[in-house]
Amino acid sequence: MMEEQRTSLRRTVVITGATSGIGLAAARALASKGYRVIGAGRLPSRCREAEGALRAEIPGAVVDYLVADLGSQREIRALAATIRERLEEDNGRLDVLVNNAGIVSTWYLATEDGYETQFAVNYLASFLLTQEMLPMLRKSGSARVITISSGSHYRTRMRWHDVMFRNGYNCLSAYKQSKLANVIFTNELNRRLEPSSGVRAYAVDPGLVDTAIGEKGTAGIARWFWRIRRRSGIPPEQAAETIVHLATSPMLEDPEASYWKECRPKRPSRYAEREDVMQRLWEMSERLSGLVRSPQGGGAS
Amino acid sequence: MKSYVLITGAAGGLGKAFAAECASRGWDLFLTDTTESSLSILAEGITRLSNVTVLYSPCNLADPTARERFWEAIRAQGLQFHFLINVAGLDVEGPFAERSTEELGAIIRLNIESVVSMTRMILQHRDPTRSLRIINVSSLAGFNPMPVKAVYAASKRFLLDFSLALHRELRESDVTVTALCPAGMPTNLPVIKAIERQGIMGRATTRNVGYVAVRTIDRALAGRAVYIPGAINLALRYLSAVVPRSVVTAFLSRRWSSARKQYRHEELALKGGGVFARPIG
Repeated sequence: MMEEQRTSLRRTVVITGATSGIGLAAARALASKGYRVIGAGRLPSRCREAEGALRAEIPGAVVDYLVADLGSQREIRALAATIRERLEEDNGRLDVLVNNAGIVSTWYLATEDGYETQFAVNYLASFLLTQEMLPMLRKSGSARVITISSGSHYRTRMRWHDVMFRNGYNCLSAYKQSKLANVIFTNELNRRLEPSSGVRAYAVDPGLVDTAIGEKGTAGIARWFWRIRRRSGIPPEQAAETIVHLATSPMLEDPEASYWKECRPKRPSRYAEREDVMQRLWEMSERLSGLVRSPQGGGAS
Repeated sequence: MKSYVLITGAAGGLGKAFAAECASRGWDLFLTDTTESSLSILAEGITRLSNVTVLYSPCNLADPTARERFWEAIRAQGLQFHFLINVAGLDVEGPFAERSTEELGAIIRLNIESVVSMTRMILQHRDPTRSLRIINVSSLAGFNPMPVKAVYAASKRFLLDFSLALHRELRESDVTVTALCPAGMPTNLPVIKAIERQGIMGRATTRNVGYVAVRTIDRALAGRAVYIPGAINLALRYLSAVVPRSVVTAFLSRRWSSARKQYRHEELALKGGGVFARPIG
């Protein structure tokens, strides 16, 4: 009886890229506030490490880590299925989804689906995982989808003729576009969600943060650049404050605002609010993540 | 009647880039590689990317019997092709004396035998109403003998000469053969690590696979015989043409052995994929 009551009251959060940086800091903060935390990471060793550290630091913390490479749509769907299973004890309810996982890659790399890696991991994975989690988020009554964007989304546009940067790949341009896509997606999700869904989406600009994001997929001068840059960054704990604020505040000062920095609403780029842009990205994402079939399909021989 | 682009080694880094590029040009695809699951995932992804038909069939192209079965199935379905991109290839890096005869034989079977055989077979299954384009992935390594990569470099030399000769010979039958000769190509993480180990030269000679795929197809459509991506690589190729081969070989030997010294201290990441590790270029 006691157990039942406890599980029906606790709130649950799913955080991707939760083994280091902003994701780990958010996981730690929310676990301390009594949230059940389901973290996702790419490497099993780092997942075990993060899970062990949080359980040791926070007595009574309910923390589970799941391994998934978000560059693979197959693994995103498998991750969603496992989360669904784990949430059964909470009546299949999810309160907060934090799409945090992000990468930087010096070189053009294609995922197993044939998509450019930064676009796939930084953006498309957030889109697909959110779609997969929506039925559970709707059960919350007051759920939030928080997607980590970046101030670099200003002054950039979608490269519609070649969104995957196959021709003329540039690490920073591809990164900026993926972060812009996160803002556009957040705006369109809010436009599509009916108020009765109880789900609201927010994009977060974490500012310049002292994390290793720019050093994992780069080398040489680019790596040196990111290493110098991170020195002037704020600690991940401080960057996670906005996430925690959006996740936990029962009443936000401006619940309609979709873009946040330092716990305050901020105006995103005008481009990210254009309806034709929002519509176009959404339709493309539905197609690329296999939620909507193309009129004419392929098949095995 | 539909006509397809046949891509071998389609599930590798360069193969995926070629597949995506061809699909974006509206061409229907036929993909092959060794693993069925990788092919089905890629085919699904490419279909979503661009509304083309993507067929696939797994095949170990190094095995003559498997190749025969592969073509039998194609004959049975009555498929025809207007483009062949021979990407499948392999390199087992390391000193000649440390490699087994099986490993060395595997390089020759895949890099030479299978390409000759696929090129011969595509002539029988070409779309008679269109020009036939063939791209063979050779390498900058094809221009020079390379210690520590002796068999690999020689196999790429074979592909270069083979392509140049055929390009001339088949001109009257409306067939063009283009040899792609890249330096390092960042196709996956282990290969990227290997390129980074080479320092500034590794980075300067390396071009993204997307860039290479787009331009190679443009060159093939223009009927060019050889494409060397990147200005530095082109300069290296002409430099090596005026310097005696023995001098170039000695230079490359020094460069590879210093890269290898570093390599030994780290994990042998390149061998992570076993014999089917992708070639550097």
